[in-house]
Amino acid sequence: MRLRILAAIALALGAAQAVRFEESNPPVEGDVHPPPDVETGLRSACYDCHSNETRWPWYSSLAPISWLVYRDVSEGRRRLNFSRWSDYLADPGTRTEKLEQIRKLVVLGDMPPWYYSAVHPSSRWTDLQRDEVLHWVDAEIAASPATP
Amino acid sequence: MNMSKTAAWAIGLSLCAGLEARAGDDPLPAVRFEDQRFEPSELAVPAGAPFQLRVVNGKSEAVEFESFELNRERVVQPGEEVVVYLPALAPGTYRFFDDFHKDAGEGRITAR
Repeated sequence: MRLRILAAIALALGAAQAVRFEESNPPVEGDVHPPPDVETGLRSACYDCHSNETRWPWYSSLAPISWLVYRDVSEGRRRLNFSRWSDYLADPGTRTEKLEQIRKLVVLGDMPPWYYSAVHPSSRWTDLQRDEVLHWVDAEIAASPATP
Repeated sequence: MNMSKTAAWAIGLSLCAGLEARAGDDPLPAVRFEDQRFEPSELAVPAGAPFQLRVVNGKSEAVEFESFELNRERVVQPGEEVVVYLPALAPGTYRFFDDFHKDAGEGRITAR
């Protein structure tokens, strides 16, 4: 009985590998340019899902984990993409909106998600890194032009 | 003295009339969010030319105009409006929705 269950699981996992998603990194259209320390923080904790410079891990080729990774990267890029930052500059209201959301999520500690930090220890910011990012966000919001 | 006052009034009134006429010819395409939907829900714009879109919130609560395809996201407070700056679009259809009311209908901008 146990052998049959194991065989069924192996079969299901094998079949799952047939459903694949492309691990693509589209060209960087216009990257964000924060101070170097902040950029290091953003790259370590955010860029895998919120840029076109995703470091696809080995398990991103292994279903069903690959499905979750693909979902996170797709959704992350749609919501905030640092590789398309220059496009946000064309609409200052959108840029401010993105900055305010970054601030909110960093303050709440909701980003990066716990399961990402669990497998990417380098994504865990020190208090200093967190403060540097918040300081940059606040300065950018303060410098934002008024929008109609 | 009376003549110059009359002239000043005349100039002022004609300026106001001119401004009103300009406002009536508002060239900005606009969408209004009300009753859980965008009105109009379909909007046509010329392809290949940057444009501005006026988003009006006719609700009594905040809405969030969002479009993944247009890379835009704006919160609009109740009774207020914002102007969204958009780049020249390639011909095609671009969806937008209210991220605060996901059950509401979505809208489309078609660039031709």
